[in-house]
Amino acid sequence: MNYILDGLRQALELLLGGDPATFSAVWTTLLVTLEAMAATLVLGAPAGFLLGYADFPGKRAARLAVETFLSFPTVVIGLVVYAFISRRGPLGELGLLFTVPGMAVGLTILGLPIVIALTAQAVENLDPRLRPTLLTLGAGPRQVFFATLGEARFGLLLAATAAFGRIFSEIGISMMLGGNIKWSTRTITTAIALETGKGEFATGIALGIVLMIIAFAVNLAASAFRRRSAA
Amino acid sequence: MSALYELDHVVQRYGEREVLHLDALAVPEGAIIGLVGPNGGGKSTLLRLLAFLETPAEGTILYRGEPAGGREYALRGEVTCFPQEPYLLKRSVRANVAFGLEARGATDVAERVATALALVGLDPARFAGRMWHQLSGGEVKRVALAARLALRPRALLLDEPTANLDRDSAELVRRAVTTARERHGTTLVISGHDHEWLKAICDDMLWIRDGQLAAPSTEAGHAPWPQPAV
Repeated sequence: MNYILDGLRQALELLLGGDPATFSAVWTTLLVTLEAMAATLVLGAPAGFLLGYADFPGKRAARLAVETFLSFPTVVIGLVVYAFISRRGPLGELGLLFTVPGMAVGLTILGLPIVIALTAQAVENLDPRLRPTLLTLGAGPRQVFFATLGEARFGLLLAATAAFGRIFSEIGISMMLGGNIKWSTRTITTAIALETGKGEFATGIALGIVLMIIAFAVNLAASAFRRRSAA
Repeated sequence: MSALYELDHVVQRYGEREVLHLDALAVPEGAIIGLVGPNGGGKSTLLRLLAFLETPAEGTILYRGEPAGGREYALRGEVTCFPQEPYLLKRSVRANVAFGLEARGATDVAERVATALALVGLDPARFAGRMWHQLSGGEVKRVALAARLALRPRALLLDEPTANLDRDSAELVRRAVTTARERHGTTLVISGHDHEWLKAICDDMLWIRDGQLAAPSTEAGHAPWPQPAV
């Protein structure tokens, strides 16, 4: 038990003392999460809207594919992206392997099915009176799209929060595509795994505390937004 | 008066079921037409067709003498429909009333929002900032009506606008829609079951039963209705 308490004490010292290696991992995590979340939402929200709103041939198959990807093992996503962006892969010339953007590509693929599926569900659950209301008020296709997304904002927020939770705490993809390079692609989760393996328990705990604080803060903000919008 | 709408052999089907079959119907511009008849008779379907929210399975609808087919989006900029159970966007009252104005590119949005709210008996200072869920059922209806009146449409199609409203609210609706005609020459087509309310404001009343224009029911005790304008 003592070594856990010692680890906790040392972890607080690392955090309060502004340990550069610890904060480098935190910064990398925030950067890669931000990039992946931006790509996930920009691609996933319109795709989810289409899946939930429009009728098209193959919709059922598309829905099934998205739901299958929800449970895709992260290590397989890492493996496939690795094959594409490694030097011998078709996208090798882009030099993405062992970089933050390379990790963001893999994490985007992880987050996309979550955002698409939950956005589609949110749009499908909207009140059926919404579309005729928008049309009779004179809305064109673009206004219908944005107003419908606006009406589904709580569902979108849920989708974004769920994707954030997955992307932020992911380790397999980050490890495979980032390589866990100190000062460069080492994230909180890969650092925890490495430091704990090395017996550096304090660093692992410090990073774990930061991980939980950020995740809690994001969920708290999302919850506050939901309350404020509904209040 | 020239005809705003002319319907020629219009049929509407949902799946295999024929829900409306009108050989001919004309709605004069600037008129107030009442639609009465039993539930499921085709009143709401007719209103959705006139609002260009649906296209007929057969037949043609002329709007101001021109076929409406293929021009639905543009025509929805001139007409608007008030449904039985109106839906408010999950926004403030002000944003709800302003939505259609902004969609149609109006410039004097704030002034028209305030005027429309006042027209339905809602004080803009008190109500404009309220959120959609802070309204009673009657207020929801009045805000939705204000959103339509603010557009100053050429035709306003109202589907049972006084259903579930108290007497005072029904009177407010009557005043609001007749003011729309007086000020802007709006053509009104109104369905409902409150025959007295309809008779008080309508120039003409049409009976719709089983999807067709019909003779008025003698059992209802409201005969004789004026004949359909064909």
